[in-house]
Amino acid sequence: MKQFRKMTYPYVAWISVMIIVPMILILLYAITTEGNGVVNFNFTIDNFVRFFSDSIFLEVLGRSLRVALITTVLCIVLGYIPAYYIAKCSDGIKMKWVLIITFPTWINMLVRTYAWIGILQNDGIINTILGWVGIGPVDMIYTEFAVILGMVYNFIPFMILQIYTSLSKMDNSLIEAAQDLGANRFQCFWRITFPLSLPGVISGITLVFLPAVSSFCIPKLLGGGQYVLVGNVIESQFLTSGDWNFGSAISLIMAIIIMISMYITKKVDKTEIGERASA
Amino acid sequence: METSAKKLIQFKNIVKSFDGQIVLKGINLDIYENEFVTLLGPSGCGKTTLLRILGGFLEPDEGNVIFDGNDITNLPPYKRDLNTVFQKYALFPHMNVYDNVAFGLKLKKEPKDIIEQKVNRMLRLINLEDFGKRGIQEMSGGQQQRVAIARALVNEPGVLLLDEPLGALDAKLRKEMQRELKKIQKEVGITFIFVTHDQEEALTMSDKIVVMKDGEIQQIGSPTDIYNEPANRYVANFIGASNIMDGIMLEDRKVVFEDKQFECVDFGFSKDERVDVVIRPEDIDIVAPGDGKLKGTVKSVLFKGVHYETVVETKNGTSITVKMNVSEDKPVINGSAGEMMSANDFYLDTEDVENLTDAFIIDHSDAQAWDPKTDERISISSVEYEIKKEKGTYPVTFKTAAGTMVTANMIVQDPNRAVDEEYGEEIYAVNFFKKADEIQESIALDTDLKIWANALAYDLETGSSVEITDVEYSFDPENIKPGEYEVTFKTRGYEYRIDTTDKAEVGTTVGLNFAPEDIHVMKKQ
Repeated sequence: MKQFRKMTYPYVAWISVMIIVPMILILLYAITTEGNGVVNFNFTIDNFVRFFSDSIFLEVLGRSLRVALITTVLCIVLGYIPAYYIAKCSDGIKMKWVLIITFPTWINMLVRTYAWIGILQNDGIINTILGWVGIGPVDMIYTEFAVILGMVYNFIPFMILQIYTSLSKMDNSLIEAAQDLGANRFQCFWRITFPLSLPGVISGITLVFLPAVSSFCIPKLLGGGQYVLVGNVIESQFLTSGDWNFGSAISLIMAIIIMISMYITKKVDKTEIGERASA
Repeated sequence: METSAKKLIQFKNIVKSFDGQIVLKGINLDIYENEFVTLLGPSGCGKTTLLRILGGFLEPDEGNVIFDGNDITNLPPYKRDLNTVFQKYALFPHMNVYDNVAFGLKLKKEPKDIIEQKVNRMLRLINLEDFGKRGIQEMSGGQQQRVAIARALVNEPGVLLLDEPLGALDAKLRKEMQRELKKIQKEVGITFIFVTHDQEEALTMSDKIVVMKDGEIQQIGSPTDIYNEPANRYVANFIGASNIMDGIMLEDRKVVFEDKQFECVDFGFSKDERVDVVIRPEDIDIVAPGDGKLKGTVKSVLFKGVHYETVVETKNGTSITVKMNVSEDKPVINGSAGEMMSANDFYLDTEDVENLTDAFIIDHSDAQAWDPKTDERISISSVEYEIKKEKGTYPVTFKTAAGTMVTANMIVQDPNRAVDEEYGEEIYAVNFFKKADEIQESIALDTDLKIWANALAYDLETGSSVEITDVEYSFDPENIKPGEYEVTFKTRGYEYRIDTTDKAEVGTTVGLNFAPEDIHVMKKQ
């Protein structure tokens, strides 16, 4: 084993340069003021104070978390059914469904999101059809509804795949055993299938919640200028205001919130699945 | 079986097929109350399918399942008054032992205190009282097994189905669980239907054994009936190693096998009917050659703990002898090209001549060319010969691209066959040439000799191949000298397996003795 260990050195170097150094830089920017020299830093916590003392930023943060939460819940509810269905299919059909579900992700996310503008806008497809039956036009584009729709659309494949994987790994004899002991289909699902698919749901949550909470292109395109989420604030600090220090501080706050929420999910996961087993 | 017992389950002409392959061919079977019934058969015989039909996990293509007078053929599993212990237990991994056992009762919405009483009583029955709070993964295989049984029994089903439940346990635990299962069945007093491929398990635990094969029931009976009076050759073989011979029933209580007449206790066959004769290994005694009813040579003795498993051959199988011509390696040397080359003479049949190819000739003559310095093989670029489909010797010349050449003889002869009418077998082998060093270097000489001589045996009736069990020769393979040697190939003859506590020496001649009641005569299938 010893001689193979050396082979990991390039990766260690790569990871240090590509991940750890940028992280340190973000941290460094977040806790310093503008105009740093190479050797002398002006340390400060003003960036954090500014974020938490301004109600607008807190409102944006709250809105981001709410949108991400709604998106995640919708992805679970809407994703579970197709995942359950695919897991029950025969092997050949399974692969076709997985292909169909992953197919949209091959196309650039921006393109797909632009397509929604065409569908949702006031003279778009939906409103035109509604116009024929005398309803509308309904305001859909540049609303929270449009943003959540765009997020659910973009992130649901990850949820479906995660749930599908955990469902298809499940031993069918467990279902038979439950039926044998008197459980009808409904009871089988809630007492056996669903609890056992929770690990998939949890990792699906991680894969949906994280990009949803920090997304900036979906709210920008479907929410217009009016609908601002944390991702957009960070983006504008870097690209418009040029205040890298404040932008880094917000990023860091987001990172910590995400870490806490991941920790909580893991904890829930453990207690749900392991509580009885390890009690 | 007591005739007063009530029929609890009736299978009526159950037919089931998967993907066009028929797995159950019209099963009719009655199962009574409080019986321990075993469905016994090899994998693929349909025993598990039958159990799954009873459990409600499969629907039969044809036929009905009657349970306690009601047709339950189309009833879903959760409405049936029976519970299953699954092959791999199928315990719920997200619940502890207590919750697993309580699962069925909770679904029935029984009061909490009643559930607790029943579950604890069940845990006591399986000796896992203090394990209620344990997770499933923390339990050993045997413990999981018992939890699975408790989980099923706590619902007080009319019938418990067990699908090879002991398959995953080690031998010692298996024995313990067999005893325990039998004890539990007696205690709770319900019908157990047990599926297994292990005949010993079936014999130990059952009140009634149903022997199945290829989707059909071969025999139904008590363990002693099935062991002592197997209905046919298949059952006799499956239920325990047996000596099964072809015989002819002369008249009631008189049977002929191995050209000798024996007294037996069987009757009711037609005159001169061809039958199968069974003698159990433990029913035969080894005696002095003159004292036995049969005489034979001890072929092998295996120590099995309590007894020796002795094999005695009373009559040789079909045999054939061929000549092996051993020669020294004398390669041709081509100094200018730096090549060496060699080839053997070889024998072939008049039949082989028709399909003669270069590859066949190179293979059989062992023709090869190589560079003596590097030992690398050189391709043979041409094979030249003229041959007729007649007996005779025909030279063949092998050449390499560099011009090195060697000549060998192809000796065409009539096929060398031997037929044994009694066994209905034919054996075939050819004479062959071999170099001394190849014999010395062989790591599996018997197998190599079979390949070199192209030795084959087959059943004349079915055309299927018969194993050549013995290869006999008198030379010492380590120190073989050039010359001609005889090699004999034999199929299995009449062999008797004898389980006895007396040790016999391999190679000695012994007599075999058995009583008339030890001979069991069965109808041919």
